Amino acid sequence: MAKAVGDAILRAGNPGRSGHALSIRSARDLFVARERLAELFGCADSSRFVFTENATVALNQAIKGVLRPGDHVVTTSVEHNSVMRPLRRMEDGGVRVTVVPAGKDGVTEARNVISAFRKATRLVVMVHASNVSGALQPVDAVVAAAHRRGILTLIDAAQTAGAVPIDLSTLPVDLLAASGHKGLLGPQGTGFLFVREGVPIVPLIEGGTGSRSESDHQPEFFPDALESGTLNSVGVAGLAASLAWILRKGVGTIRRAEVVLVGQLLHGLSRIPGVTVYGPADPAHRGSAVSFRVEGIDPAEVGARLEKRSGVLVRAGLHCSPNGHRAIGTFPIGTVRVSPGPFTTRAGIATFLSALRKIRGPSA
Amino acid sequence: MTRAPDTGLILIFRGTHQVLSAEKRLKGGGVPLRLIPVPRRLTSDCGLAIRIPFDHRAPAREILSRARLFPQSAHLPRADGEYDLVSL
Ligand SMILES: Cc1ncc(COP(=O)(O)O)c(C=O)c1O
Repeated sequence: MAKAVGDAILRAGNPGRSGHALSIRSARDLFVARERLAELFGCADSSRFVFTENATVALNQAIKGVLRPGDHVVTTSVEHNSVMRPLRRMEDGGVRVTVVPAGKDGVTEARNVISAFRKATRLVVMVHASNVSGALQPVDAVVAAAHRRGILTLIDAAQTAGAVPIDLSTLPVDLLAASGHKGLLGPQGTGFLFVREGVPIVPLIEGGTGSRSESDHQPEFFPDALESGTLNSVGVAGLAASLAWILRKGVGTIRRAEVVLVGQLLHGLSRIPGVTVYGPADPAHRGSAVSFRVEGIDPAEVGARLEKRSGVLVRAGLHCSPNGHRAIGTFPIGTVRVSPGPFTTRAGIATFLSALRKIRGPSA
Repeated sequence: MTRAPDTGLILIFRGTHQVLSAEKRLKGGGVPLRLIPVPRRLTSDCGLAIRIPFDHRAPAREILSRARLFPQSAHLPRADGEYDLVSL
């Protein structure tokens, strides 16, 4: 991935802005990455994948591009601020928002989400897996029910894209947003929004697209409709490389390995006195984020000690998701979060657990 | 009518993604092609077009309509530097 970014930086032209060789190479990097995204997510038409800087921009585009004053939107109490803040902004502009509470394990019940649907409901926004508790949400059932009622659906797959299989050919979700730099293993500054054909959406940003230059109106075809300005083709070249790796490996294989590692992690954590783990007990019901607390020690201090003593890097605090923490009762102090990925080994988890067992002891 | 030497059918698409998508499909279907800068006479766009040999137009039409990637327009260069608008 790093090599692909390096190569791209050495030869980057402005994609789609010119007919010269460098511009074509950059345009090809975008095209190849788009085709790989389409393959990974089971979609025949790669033009429906729009590149963004990150999941946050993709979520803002989806939310602000679809909702209008008077619309009603249903979401859950475990959303990231990249969903909640745009929704609160829309609320000020006359959109009504229903936040469906999750249970103590961080899981929102599908029936509770579905029973919040009203006549004016335009959109359901739901995280696929919480970045706080790790809890997988019942997206299949909610998307199916919303689809039957003609309600649009937006899934925040920041925590699951590339790590948990998502098949757009069987899941009739309308909008899917994710970061490139998490489970998709790409560089920072990459992300995407999938928009299903026929979904009415207004661009968040208008500008130059390299197409229809004779017109001063934004093109309506994809991906140009939602991709204005010079894109991060250098970052996307890196994403294309990591997508190739994921496609070779298979998301199913990555997922099975992560479920085993999360199981090892949950089991190990449950045997350390004074450690409380949040989220579903069954690793099959969660993504790879595991949140815990050590009784009597501030999460930030746990994080600092883990790093100093074992080189294990964790994220402590509220994880940009105060609601996610309120749902599981860890607001405002937050938790410590670890997430095994495709390069995590059993030995790595054992090292982490052993460092955590000695967390109360004097530093070595 | 006289044709320019090295004539070929120039296919214009809506955007760069559609050009590269058509290129992939045409290549996959064995249609020889070249990516060329869109001739300025044809559109004001700064993008790319595809040129295929005229006698490959039937398979190209078939492949592109199946892929829902039909070009916006097709053009044949004339000896005088102008282009004739033709149907693919
Ligand atoms: C569930 C969830 N949604 C959205 C985001 C935002 O992602 P990004 O940083 O790519 O904008 C994150 C990242 O922290 C996340 O975990």
